[in-house]
Amino acid sequence: MRKLLAVMTAAVAVFAWSAQVPASAETLRVGMECTYAPFNFKNADGELDGYDVDVAKGVAGLIGADLEFVCQKWDGMIPALLANKFDLIIASMSITEKRLEKMDFSDTYRISVGRLVGKKDSGWELFDDAGKPIPANFAGLKVGLERATTYSDWFENELPEAEVVLYDSNEALYLDLVNGRTDMIMTNPMKAHLRFLSKEDGAGFEFVSPQIDERKYFGIGVGIGLRKGNDELKARLNAALKTLTEDGSLEQYALKYFPFAIHQ
Amino acid sequence: MIFDIALIIDSIPKMLMGIGLTLQLLFLSGALGLALAIILLLMRISGRWYLAVPTMVYIYVFRGTPILVQIFIIYYGLPQLDFVRESIFWPILREPFGCAIVALTLNTGAYVSEILRGGVLGVDRGLKEAGAALGLSAPHRFIYITTPIAIRLALPAYSNDVVSLMKSTALASTITLLDMMGIARTIVAETYAPYEIFISLMVIYLILTWFIQRTFGWIEKRMSRHVKSEV
Repeated sequence: MRKLLAVMTAAVAVFAWSAQVPASAETLRVGMECTYAPFNFKNADGELDGYDVDVAKGVAGLIGADLEFVCQKWDGMIPALLANKFDLIIASMSITEKRLEKMDFSDTYRISVGRLVGKKDSGWELFDDAGKPIPANFAGLKVGLERATTYSDWFENELPEAEVVLYDSNEALYLDLVNGRTDMIMTNPMKAHLRFLSKEDGAGFEFVSPQIDERKYFGIGVGIGLRKGNDELKARLNAALKTLTEDGSLEQYALKYFPFAIHQ
Repeated sequence: MIFDIALIIDSIPKMLMGIGLTLQLLFLSGALGLALAIILLLMRISGRWYLAVPTMVYIYVFRGTPILVQIFIIYYGLPQLDFVRESIFWPILREPFGCAIVALTLNTGAYVSEILRGGVLGVDRGLKEAGAALGLSAPHRFIYITTPIAIRLALPAYSNDVVSLMKSTALASTITLLDMMGIARTIVAETYAPYEIFISLMVIYLILTWFIQRTFGWIEKRMSRHVKSEV
């Protein structure tokens, strides 16, 4: 018993000591769900992988920090950040007014957009060269949307000419598009690619619009979350994200999982 | 919690925009369902097994499964089969309204045919024998003796089924139709105020039910005007 106690004390001491020793470089602890493919997840080898993970590694490389990933359930993500369990949230978290009351965000590293999906070679001229919709050409087309989403807001306000059909789930959108009950659907392009366009059912379909990113409807996007009052760190993160955008790294990260870039 | 009266006043007219669709679903599938029920009834009591057995199976299936499942099978399931999409029924099944009518009709038809059968079986044997003694043929006995009495006997249960059909129309909102329920769900998704909206909707449905009950009460009274009041 005494021996066991001694071992435990030693173990605790070693653990405490190792925790106190400052790392050679700055260590950034990053919170993510680790279950949100393809953004942050454990791959077949049991290693963390995904777009968020690549962004974290890219940023850390540029600002010269070591990384430590912490897997955290979504509903406890912000509380854990505030309780100093980790320093950054890189977990596909959208920047919202409500979240900005409690925490801070870097610039975006992923967009919030909507995109239309329809039959291949449909020959509709729906958007002009500047990427603006041509309302008259939407007249009489049936568009499947999820109820009370940013997409249905956008359609109601910007394109009342189209005939909107409201669904309760993302899957139902694809089903009725395939069944020919709707002419097109509008949804998150990443979801559309993963769940539909890359599957057998989606073979005859493609994106029929550019990415639509009006902030008024779709919000700002996804950023790196950090505690308030870390302006110096935030400036370094933003500079790193800018470099990753400009040197094409962000696009490369996205192309691993999608046939298109997903940053601004 | 605060009960937002302004929101209710604002949303009731919006929900009433869907009452037309609710009533169309009710009347159309009610009428078609009744026609189907009569055919099923005649097959069921025909005394020929090859007519009666399929009817029994049909009634068992449609009474024995949730109507929501039936709606989903018809709306999402059938178009998965290529021959359905190439058939002459596709123009009907393509539209959510058509699917809702088909599902509600098939469902209510099964229930109503059993209600009617109850009415037919309730007709006193002596009356039919009296008809036979007067020299009436079997079809005549069925049309002039059994039918009027069976209708009177089946009416209370039938009015029940009409009310339940009216309530089932709300399920059409699950296949994109914007009936009163569909509009209410959209408002709730936008305002996060389920309490106010759904309670107002409940009141509207209750008023509809009241009209149905009054109508059937009147019909019952009229059909029983030759009968001495028992109650």
